[in-house]
Amino acid sequence: MQKKNVEKKEVTVGAKEGIGSGIIGLGVLLVLLPSFSQKISDLDFINSDAFGILAGAAMVMGILVGVAGLAVILSKFDDES
Amino acid sequence: MASSAVAATPKKRSKRIPLTYVVALVPVAVALNIVGGQINTVLKLPTFLDMIGTAVVAIVLGPWWGALVGATTNIVSSFISGPIGLPFAACNVVGALIWGYTVRWGWGKTFWGFGLINILVAFFVSLTAVPIYVFIFGGATGHFADMMTAAFLAMGQNLIVSVFSSNILVSLADKIISGFVALAIIEALPANLTQGIQLPKSEGIGKIVWIAAGIVVGVAIALIMMAIQN
Repeated sequence: MQKKNVEKKEVTVGAKEGIGSGIIGLGVLLVLLPSFSQKISDLDFINSDAFGILAGAAMVMGILVGVAGLAVILSKFDDES
Repeated sequence: MASSAVAATPKKRSKRIPLTYVVALVPVAVALNIVGGQINTVLKLPTFLDMIGTAVVAIVLGPWWGALVGATTNIVSSFISGPIGLPFAACNVVGALIWGYTVRWGWGKTFWGFGLINILVAFFVSLTAVPIYVFIFGGATGHFADMMTAAFLAMGQNLIVSVFSSNILVSLADKIISGFVALAIIEALPANLTQGIQLPKSEGIGKIVWIAAGIVVGVAIALIMMAIQN
């Protein structure tokens, strides 16, 4: 019986996975924003309504998602093993 | 000629890192941010201290891993200490991107350059935070900076200028402290994790002195603000 020389390959991550995980983080933030906007607007010292908070936060997150898109376009993913 | 040029070129850092490093470092960085933020809240310091882990990961692993740490920090802390922190996740993400990209562009090769990066982070984080402060919270969230905002308002400045002025001062102290504490943590990490990162090089005690000097500058700015406020 031939003995196979099996090398255990180490799992590595690079820029592609980094940007992907960053976008996932932004996505989770966007998912949580509606409920947290309501919670923030329910606070005593907040005058803004939930829609205004959600709209403003969504715009900021949108800009960051745009930056992530630019990073995907400009990054060279030639480091994949 | 060509071979000597090739030989003179420093060995390029492998861009791929083992997944185990990420799995180990990211949760620890999030925990560090949350603990720092909680200590800051309890002691009512004129800083934030919730971006030290973000800086470590952004510099060591990359800007977008830092962004993940920043977003996760604010998500978790908003479940612990109320929803106010969630909109400020954008600030944490912006800080991670600036720390990560500027160090990768080689701006942080000297201690002065690294200090400049921290000032740049403070500026852009404040720029991101001011609309959140003004348009969502009406200029106040219960932080130390609110007292300074009130003082600036009393001087006759408008709300946006007052919030920016107070926030940039607090942010400056915070990011200088966070950046240099992160540098100290990075120095303590295993060499195979930090090799090739373009950070200030200094032999022996010189590096410790520079890091300590950076932290002292940040603390001094915070103390001056506290003294002025009192």
